[in-house]
Amino acid sequence: MSQLSPIFLFFLQETSGDRLSTAIEGVKHPDLSKFLVIAAILFIIGVAGVLTRRNLLVIFMSIELILNAANLNFIAFSRYWQDVGGGNPLAGQVFTVFIIVVAAAEAAIGLGIVIALYRNRETIWIDEIDLMKW
Amino acid sequence: MILSGWESVFFWIFAIAAILAGLLTVMARNAVHSALFLISSLVSVAALFILLGAEFIAGVQILVYVGGVMVLFLFVIMLVNVGAEEEGRSPIFNRPPQVIAALVFLSLLAGVLVIYAIPNGYLGLKERDKTQLQQAAAAQDAREQGLQPGATGVSRITTETERVGTSLYTYASLPFEIASLLLLVAIIGSVMLARTLKQEAAADDIDRDMLE
Repeated sequence: MSQLSPIFLFFLQETSGDRLSTAIEGVKHPDLSKFLVIAAILFIIGVAGVLTRRNLLVIFMSIELILNAANLNFIAFSRYWQDVGGGNPLAGQVFTVFIIVVAAAEAAIGLGIVIALYRNRETIWIDEIDLMKW
Repeated sequence: MILSGWESVFFWIFAIAAILAGLLTVMARNAVHSALFLISSLVSVAALFILLGAEFIAGVQILVYVGGVMVLFLFVIMLVNVGAEEEGRSPIFNRPPQVIAALVFLSLLAGVLVIYAIPNGYLGLKERDKTQLQQAAAAQDAREQGLQPGATGVSRITTETERVGTSLYTYASLPFEIASLLLLVAIIGSVMLARTLKQEAAADDIDRDMLE
């Protein structure tokens, strides 16, 4: 128990009254960090989908979710650059356009592969597609 | 950037909608339901882009992702397995000890990231850029005063999209050209991948039996 006390103290310090008022203020006036948190949660959901699902198409959709979380991060930091007034504030938005282009190309190729695979193997469950596993 | 008033209300609505729809995308057993939930998640994220002042990217997101990519997904789902569900097979989360260990570590990671690391990192960033933030806010206000008012008179017409376009054609002109090449390769590649044996034999002008 005694080894754990620093951790408890840390949590107490992090969740004290001052923290609570700043948290309420954060809910009333969301800032950059809230957008980053949303993007992180979306990314985690996407990774969980890629790792747990067996349907190839749903795995592709989870990848789209991950790319979208990255887009949200880019746009949020683009807005922050704009507020700070440094660098090229629109670089984030331009990069997001490229991510969307690459996602569209990836979806076209990936779905082409899915079609070819279904024609040859009659399945889209990834646990049944193990030709190249050993 | 600090949202307030109705902006913050809409932020919370769309943020929660995006996360819920994302969760349902991963959890739905039918692939068609997954695709529809993913569409609503993408639309919610597009609304968050508008709140961040990136109207052009929000429009691109709706047109390209929802109008293009997701329609392609729905076509392929209809082509491949209408109504095939992950039912009657073993459950998705079928090994309790491993699932519990993964959940514990995931929640620790997510908790530290969401509650501690990101907000504190942002506070540090804000502290560092304090003076620049004030100067830039004053400059921003001055710039917005000079913009044309919109048709309703409530808001002003921004030049954001114009500046994104300028940035795309000057700052990022080489990647822009490379992206066009990538799209060409994607078109040719997907046609090559998706064609049937019969089409392949016809294109190469050989006997179909040779390919089989």
